[in-house]
Amino acid sequence: MTRPQNAGRGAVFLVDDDVAVQRGVAALLTAAEYHVETSKSAEEFLSKLESLDRSNAVLLVDICMPGIQGLELQEKLVEDGIDLPVIVMTAHGDIPMAVRAMRNGAIDFLEKPFTVEEVTSALDRALSRPRSANAPARAAQPQLTAKFGTLTPREKEVLQGIVDGDTNKKIARSLDVSPRTVEAHRQKIMIKMDAKSFAELVRMAVTLDMTSR
Amino acid sequence: MKPDLEDIDGALSELVIETVDTPVVILGADGSIVRFNSASERLTGYFADEAIGRKVWDFLIIEKERDTVKSIFEKTQGENTPTHFTNFWKTKDGQQRRIEWSNNTIRNKLGDVSYILATGIDVTDQVATEFALAETQAYLRSIIDACPVAVITINEQGLIQSFSTEAEHCFGYREAEAIGRNVNILIPEPGHSQHDRYIKHYLETGEKKIIGRARPIFAKRENGEKFPAMLHVSEFKDGTRIFVGFVEDLTHQRMTERRLEETQFQLQHAGRIGAMGEIATSIAHELNQPLTAAASLAGAVSLNLKKTDYPETKDAIELLEDVVGEIRRASEIIRQMRDFIRKRKTEKSLHRVNKVVEEATAVALIGAESAGIKLETDLVEGLGELQMDRIQIQQVLVNVIRNAVDAMQETTEKRLKISTSRIGGFVEIRVEDTGPGITDEMMKRLFEPFATSKESGMGIGLSISKTIIDAHQGKINAINKESGGCVFTINLPEGAYDEAAKRR
Ligand SMILES: Nc1ncnc2c1ncn2[C@@H]1O[C@H](COP(=O)(O)OP(=O)(O)OP(=O)(O)O)[C@@H](O)[C@H]1O
Ligand SMILES: [Mg+2]
Repeated sequence: MTRPQNAGRGAVFLVDDDVAVQRGVAALLTAAEYHVETSKSAEEFLSKLESLDRSNAVLLVDICMPGIQGLELQEKLVEDGIDLPVIVMTAHGDIPMAVRAMRNGAIDFLEKPFTVEEVTSALDRALSRPRSANAPARAAQPQLTAKFGTLTPREKEVLQGIVDGDTNKKIARSLDVSPRTVEAHRQKIMIKMDAKSFAELVRMAVTLDMTSR
Repeated sequence: MKPDLEDIDGALSELVIETVDTPVVILGADGSIVRFNSASERLTGYFADEAIGRKVWDFLIIEKERDTVKSIFEKTQGENTPTHFTNFWKTKDGQQRRIEWSNNTIRNKLGDVSYILATGIDVTDQVATEFALAETQAYLRSIIDACPVAVITINEQGLIQSFSTEAEHCFGYREAEAIGRNVNILIPEPGHSQHDRYIKHYLETGEKKIIGRARPIFAKRENGEKFPAMLHVSEFKDGTRIFVGFVEDLTHQRMTERRLEETQFQLQHAGRIGAMGEIATSIAHELNQPLTAAASLAGAVSLNLKKTDYPETKDAIELLEDVVGEIRRASEIIRQMRDFIRKRKTEKSLHRVNKVVEEATAVALIGAESAGIKLETDLVEGLGELQMDRIQIQQVLVNVIRNAVDAMQETTEKRLKISTSRIGGFVEIRVEDTGPGITDEMMKRLFEPFATSKESGMGIGLSISKTIIDAHQGKINAINKESGGCVFTINLPEGAYDEAAKRR
């Protein structure tokens, strides 16, 4: 399939059961110069997968849909050996779900609603990744392990709490410190780990296999 | 041939001998019959003519007693006091009669025995009756002792007459200790000191307060312990009056009931919280969708504006950024609301799967809708314990079982089958019904919130169930059976339990 001219930044396969969301996100992505292909369900997407040009493309899928859910779709793609970077859209603050998706091989997650900046940078990162990078079994990169090694034990505990989906308040209570302290730790961790976004931090934690199974 | 009875007043004794209704036989010194009265004729079927002159043991005594009778006959000759013994006579038509004899000797002037007088009583029927009675009593006693409830009889004075084996177990007294004591030793106050009055009142007025109906009471064991029991009393009159009490110990049953009540309460509570959480989650999701659409649209407009070079667009783009900011704020508020409501304690611990299932089943089947439903359970042994939030899992089971019950309201065949098994690293709980099955349309949205076909349904039973089972890293599925009805299967992993997932 040929791609239209305005597909400058790459193709986005958008799967979301909500028509309004589909329309809004598609409008945004088109304005941001991506080529957008929408499906209203995982089933629909799978049925036209064959006819899609999957080079320089990314799958942006809602995690919570009737029928085949986002996670299952992602599993299915991995099973079928289809090499397509996946970004899941989760409800705001649903970290455990995001963690599960990442563990399943999603390369990123976006919390709804997102800004132009958040979605475009996530998409660009995904598109610029070397292929096969989202294979499920990823060995922890030595670099990452080294960065993780610079964290203090307390910071490691805070990071654990964060990837487990705990709120600052909850982490504060379990570590017996103030939420402010937790927030400070969080900033420090982001800097030390060199994570540009929260999603990236979670992704690193998944790579480091820090998430409990 | 009339015997010569010198020492007896002839006429009178003749009259007596022939009138009495008991056999009287007079034997000569050699044992041959000299007198055979009419009662003897009636009893044996032999006429006096046939009997007289023959020896008793030659025809009247049964084979195995012949020697005994002969030796008794000899012994009798040496004695002056009457001898007593029992033997069997064989009648002419071959029947055996049991006779109790009193023998005495009639001596001549020299002191030698000239005759032996034997008077008998036919006790055959009496013995049979006694025997039958004893047998019936033993039989009754065995029934009473096998009875799973305590059986106690008392007389009109309230004194214990009998005390069954179960009564011994239940109250801790031996039957021998209990008999003859006032039954009020088994009754705690206030009944203890009132009981005599109750009996007296009944005997005087005939007013039945307890007889004939079951009544819950408290009873007292030998060690002083009070326990709940169900009492039935019946009375029977046989000359004197006897009251029979049946006492059923409810201690265990009460405990089970109380636990079920507690479970029911917890489930209702958890159900309400769960419903609220589910609704909050659902609203948060539903609202978040249009907010996402709005934020994206605003983003799209702002991007498009950036491509034009009208100076006015700069302000517009800034305003649009504020719009997105406000949308984010709204989304955040919703999230907080959801997290607040959904926050609930998970009490994860080890629980026996079968017990959890049994309790949930009992709770789910409380209520009129369950009438007429045949329950079949097949809980595999040795399932052991599983890490779970008991209340949450029971909530799932209650939802699924209630749905099955609801589904069978209109069907004639109402069978509910609940089974457990172990399948490849999972414990599987199955709930099968004989209802109409799930419609294709409902099947697509089965686990979604607010999907319902019921007038008074909320449609959140199964969506909560799915949330809970997901949090246990399990699976819940439904399929329609070929034979009609449907099966819900719930699979819980035997080992792994996701620490992170439990917060969902
Ligand atoms: N055993 C069953 N047989 C047939 N239909 C079923 C069965 N179980 C569920 N359903 C269908 O699935 C629907 C959803 O069930 P769910 O328990 O989620 O909600 P509900 O029972 O309608 O309401 P509630 O919120 O009171 O539980 C039901 O309305 C019914 O149509
Ligand atoms: Mg229901």
